[in-house]
Amino acid sequence: MIEKERLVTIVGPDKVINEPQVLQAYSQDMSFVNPVRPACVVTPNKADEVQKIIQLANDTQTPLVPVSSGPPHFRGDTVPGIGGAVIVDLSQMKKVVFVDRARRVAMVEPGVTFSELIPAVNKEGLRLNMPLLPRKSKSVAGSILEREPVIMPKYQWDISDPLACAGLFFGTGDEFRTGQAAGPGTLEEQWAVGGVQKAPYGPGTGSWHRIIQGAQGTMGIVTWVSMRCEILPSLEEPFVVGSSNLNSLLELTSWLIRLRNVNECFILNNTNLAAIFAKKYPADYQNLKDSLPAWTLFYNLAGYEYFPEERISAYIKEIDDLTQRLRIEAVKTVGGVSANDILKAVQQPSGEPYWKLRYKGACQDIFFLTIYDKLEGQIGIMNNLADKAGYGASNLGIYIQPVVQGTSCHCEFNLFFDSGNPIELDRVKTLSASATKELMARGAFFSRPYGENAGMIVNRDAATAAVLNKMKNIFDPNHVMNPGKAGF
Amino acid sequence: MALSKEIYSVFEDVVGPENMCDDPVIMPSYFGKDFAAVILPKDTKQVQAVVKLCNKYKLKFRPICTGWKGEFPQGIILLDLRRMNRIIEINEKNMYAVVEPYVISAQLQAELMKRGFHFNVKGAGTNTAAMLRGHGHLDQTTSGDDRNHLAIEWVTPEGNIVRSGSLGSTDEWFSGDGPGPSLRSILTSAVPPGSTPGVFTKGAVKIYHWPGPSRFPAQGVSPNITLSEIPPNFMARYYSFPSLDKMMQAEFKIGESEIAFELMGFNIAMVASNMTVNNEEDEEVFRQLKKESQGVGFFIIIAGNCAADFEYKKKVLKHIINETEGKSLESIEKDPRNEGILLHNCIRICASIRETFRSGGRFASIPSMGQRDLTVRWAVGAGKAKRSLIEKGLVVDDEGAFFGWGVEQGHLGKTEIFCRYDPVKPEAEEAVLKWKAEQQKRASDEHYFAMLWGPEDEIGKGLCNYQSWWSKLKKAIDPNGVALEAGSLV
Amino acid sequence: MSLEQYQDHMEMCMRCSCCKFIPMQRVQGHKYTYVCPSITKYNFHSYSGGGRLNIGLAMLKNGFNYTDKLLDIVYNCQMCGACGVSCNYAMDMEVMEPISEFRIKCVADGKTNPALEKVITGLRKQGSMVPVTGKRGDWASGLNLKNAVKEKVDVLYHVGCLTSYDKDMQRLAKATVKILQKAGVNFGIAGDNETCCGGRAYQMGYEQDFLNQAKKNMAMIKKAGVKTVVTSCADGYQAFKVLYDKFNLKGDLEVLHISEFVDKLIKDGKLKPREKVDLSVTYHDPCRLGRLGEPWIHWKGKRLSKSFVFDPPKEYRRGTHGVYEPPRDVLKSIPGVKLTEMTRIKEYAWCCGAGGGVNESNPEFAQWTARERIEEAESTGAEAIVTACPWCEKTFNETIKGNGSGLKVYDIVELVEKTI
Repeated sequence: MIEKERLVTIVGPDKVINEPQVLQAYSQDMSFVNPVRPACVVTPNKADEVQKIIQLANDTQTPLVPVSSGPPHFRGDTVPGIGGAVIVDLSQMKKVVFVDRARRVAMVEPGVTFSELIPAVNKEGLRLNMPLLPRKSKSVAGSILEREPVIMPKYQWDISDPLACAGLFFGTGDEFRTGQAAGPGTLEEQWAVGGVQKAPYGPGTGSWHRIIQGAQGTMGIVTWVSMRCEILPSLEEPFVVGSSNLNSLLELTSWLIRLRNVNECFILNNTNLAAIFAKKYPADYQNLKDSLPAWTLFYNLAGYEYFPEERISAYIKEIDDLTQRLRIEAVKTVGGVSANDILKAVQQPSGEPYWKLRYKGACQDIFFLTIYDKLEGQIGIMNNLADKAGYGASNLGIYIQPVVQGTSCHCEFNLFFDSGNPIELDRVKTLSASATKELMARGAFFSRPYGENAGMIVNRDAATAAVLNKMKNIFDPNHVMNPGKAGF
Repeated sequence: MALSKEIYSVFEDVVGPENMCDDPVIMPSYFGKDFAAVILPKDTKQVQAVVKLCNKYKLKFRPICTGWKGEFPQGIILLDLRRMNRIIEINEKNMYAVVEPYVISAQLQAELMKRGFHFNVKGAGTNTAAMLRGHGHLDQTTSGDDRNHLAIEWVTPEGNIVRSGSLGSTDEWFSGDGPGPSLRSILTSAVPPGSTPGVFTKGAVKIYHWPGPSRFPAQGVSPNITLSEIPPNFMARYYSFPSLDKMMQAEFKIGESEIAFELMGFNIAMVASNMTVNNEEDEEVFRQLKKESQGVGFFIIIAGNCAADFEYKKKVLKHIINETEGKSLESIEKDPRNEGILLHNCIRICASIRETFRSGGRFASIPSMGQRDLTVRWAVGAGKAKRSLIEKGLVVDDEGAFFGWGVEQGHLGKTEIFCRYDPVKPEAEEAVLKWKAEQQKRASDEHYFAMLWGPEDEIGKGLCNYQSWWSKLKKAIDPNGVALEAGSLV
Repeated sequence: MSLEQYQDHMEMCMRCSCCKFIPMQRVQGHKYTYVCPSITKYNFHSYSGGGRLNIGLAMLKNGFNYTDKLLDIVYNCQMCGACGVSCNYAMDMEVMEPISEFRIKCVADGKTNPALEKVITGLRKQGSMVPVTGKRGDWASGLNLKNAVKEKVDVLYHVGCLTSYDKDMQRLAKATVKILQKAGVNFGIAGDNETCCGGRAYQMGYEQDFLNQAKKNMAMIKKAGVKTVVTSCADGYQAFKVLYDKFNLKGDLEVLHISEFVDKLIKDGKLKPREKVDLSVTYHDPCRLGRLGEPWIHWKGKRLSKSFVFDPPKEYRRGTHGVYEPPRDVLKSIPGVKLTEMTRIKEYAWCCGAGGGVNESNPEFAQWTARERIEEAESTGAEAIVTACPWCEKTFNETIKGNGSGLKVYDIVELVEKTI
């Protein structure tokens, strides 16, 4: 265990926190993982402080839990898996290091949130490829490192996007920079010749950024990320397509993405769309939900510098052919929600309170990757399980996000519940575990294993787990980095 | 070094006598190396069995596909994956294809085109493995490097079968990442130096929408293949620019406006080589094109998903070219035959050999991937240094040109400069290798990009000592030290 | 020429593997993309065109080491020329010539294949590449054909060894003469004076025996005063048209394949395809009528120093000027015949399997090769495969008998005979 004094010499006295209420706050989150109180919380400001903390943790066999977003947390990855842990809270590292319009890239420290970065990139005529309505306190770096799905699948060429490069310290305390950032030269020397840490692959043959993404802080601590940005459109024209026939919407979605016509593109069921836009609960929410079709596909057409109207007009023509063939219609409003409202909303983080918590105060997410052909079946299974569990299929929030240019789909079930109600809590907890198991058996790929289901998920692929464990033993031989997480 | 009879027969038991050979007479066709044996496995299980035997007998091994290039020590077991040549799956809705190592790009591309798709064919040519990680003419819209791979089936150096991502968990190929961190961090199949030890036995690659015909309307008798018509909503042009800056401006604008199906930063010499059917014609056409060109340039293909889309893209292109003072090469714009040839060759990527080997039989190149504008700045210097070799008659005259292109609508890029030379002249090779070493060193010293070839410890020093991590990884996954880095999967 | 003279060409091989496949521009899918029977069957790179060049080059540099494996590689090759065509869509270099020279060298050094030795012994004794029964001109008994050696004729019909002696193939000769008679051509045969053209001997590597045959044939032709030779055998066509010219023996002799001749006769109105022949067919291009049948190009010059460029410019034979359209035009002119092309056609056709001595030295490989072709033919849905070489036809027939396929095999002259 690290003695407090040693941490103080690294970060200063103000940055080492022992107050019980603070420790209490970090000991649990909105997931079902068991609460485990940390030993203390440190809030470093600089990268070299982080390195020293890691080195100290190795010397003293102290577990470290990196955190970059503010609360509330949902996945269980920021709750210590073991006693005596030190929370390394990077949310105070808030520098936007640069935003480069010409090369479409920005670099930030881990504490920068979407609310803070969006205006900075917008100022330069850029935008982020964001997840759907992240919470206000969500760290951009955190989201990217978690491989959260992004709402513009066209611009996600690879599952690692929008991540470009990262600066980090491995669990050994060794410094590393991924991709182009690795060198030659320091970052400053690279900047001096015009390098902007954009290319993600390397150094050498490895694509090292992929080992830290999805790792839940088990391989090391990241102190900055660079990410690719997209250009701010000069003109946008959003549409919605409502239907009770999910298959038609999926068919249209696959074509929209295949033809690269659309920017933002995702599907929400009525429960989720209502949860996002309802102003009051429960009446307004229920009315709104009842007004909406079972499924709503949202997509946005954009024009840039040259003849944006013509570009959008060409896309509209093409999409009309598709919708006619599928006997669905692209419109401007479904139920009580307009496409413009959706567009405005999704280009920002969620308002407060966080949209998932507005209805019942808590939410458990079950999410996985899948392919179009299996999706309806998997939703059907979830519906059955929800009904069986007494949760009710009609209460499930469902979010379908094509990812990586349509090569797969992120499917997310949002289970709203009152965490103060032990029956509801227990029901959702049990449903979450049984659904994960059942969906896995039906081809759902839980690529991001969180919480108490992580073990079950990882064990399904023992061969991959064996290799990942070897890698873990290399990058964090003393297992100080977030032990017990990501299936390790 | 010969295997003992006993050990030889143990391997032979796995693949059959007709699929294993250690006769020295075949070795010149296998890179001139004295391999312990060349083995032809037919499927993953046989690969696994062979690898396990290599571990048992402490024999080093390496796989190859078509095997164009590679670095191979003597005395190892060479796994020629030629018999593993199936297309396993094409998933049209989720846009990926799954192939074995010996499926060449031409085969996969042709199958995909029938279905309205295509994929990233590497610049090395359509005669190379579809599964290869690499770059190519089509990167602008089909990405490159390791970013097209999804799930991979991998026989580890110890002989375990690892199926990455969704493949291991759900038996589907759509994702190569997770659960948790991604094995794609190490599952990269680059040509040497440095690539994943073990054997990739199957891989899923992303596929992309193809707005063209299910079969190219190619006509003629080889090598004079032309198109009977330019496919609807397709256009190919070559634009030259008064300066490198203007060209880069145009390149970036084209990327940001997302209008190009292909943007290939050919130089005029490469265009001439690509279009022509022999070296003499090549030289003549090069002279002709030089007259029409005002400076550096690129080749671009516009392809519309429909007529309206096509018109829009052409309009934007015209605007950008006017803004950046580009000039269209008349030999292409005004001659549908030439336009068709380039369109065909630069989508099927079937003329890379003409651009590289035909004239002199050998070429040495320095490729760099990553940030386009940065690597271009470096390439200008490398090109200047090349001119002195041209003046001395040691390399083919291409005016010191380099080439490159945007990747993913200009987000990333590739720049390459090469020298074509006559293998018969030792002084030519010596001069070219010296130029290569100097320019790579300059790239590293001046912080453009890292040296690609050289002692790993030297290179790694400037790159966060990645080689020490890689070496630990290799030891962990290859405790018996039998799996040399993956050789050539070209 | 000798192998040494092709050293710089062999050095140009970059091991790109194009020689294993049909030209890249022609690939239309996953199936039917391989073009070299040798590597397709044996899989080691050594069996490919490029592999052979690599080995030849190594042996030139390091000495010739004739092992059983080397001879297995050398002789399990139909010498079909497909590798060179595929290579030459992109590269300026000789492929078939050094491969051929390598085989010639093996024979010259006494490293022969016993089965081929047997065949050549027969050639030396009886002027035939097939076992001899009776006299060479026996097939023509009772047909009252002119003897080209004794009488003045415009055209010498060179029948060929297989067609002359093989009871099954003699019908091709009879069909051919019927066609020529119907068109009123003033032709004759050499009958018992006919001797083997020597083409297959050359393929097998017996250059001197080929030259002996060539000289015999040209002496006879000169004596007969014939200006035009027509043959219905692709091997014979290549021998007279290309190989004799290569060795400066051909002179002004006009050489035509029967398909070319018939095509001309039809277009000149001297033959009228009248009778309907209801048949869906696909056409197999014989190697030596197609890619290897293109005229020889005599070139003398030097290589310029800085690149692989020659003065005067060297024109490569890339398989482009073989006989492709005439047989197709003939088929299209027959009422009722519906032609559907296979994937591998013309200069990139898959070999029937018989050439290069493989028919004699490794009949199993020959039949394997033919089986691949039969399968491709069947995939077109055609009822019949039509070809223009008796060796192709023989090999296809033997293979079909063995695997129970319902595909019919015709020589082009058989269909022409039916329609006129």
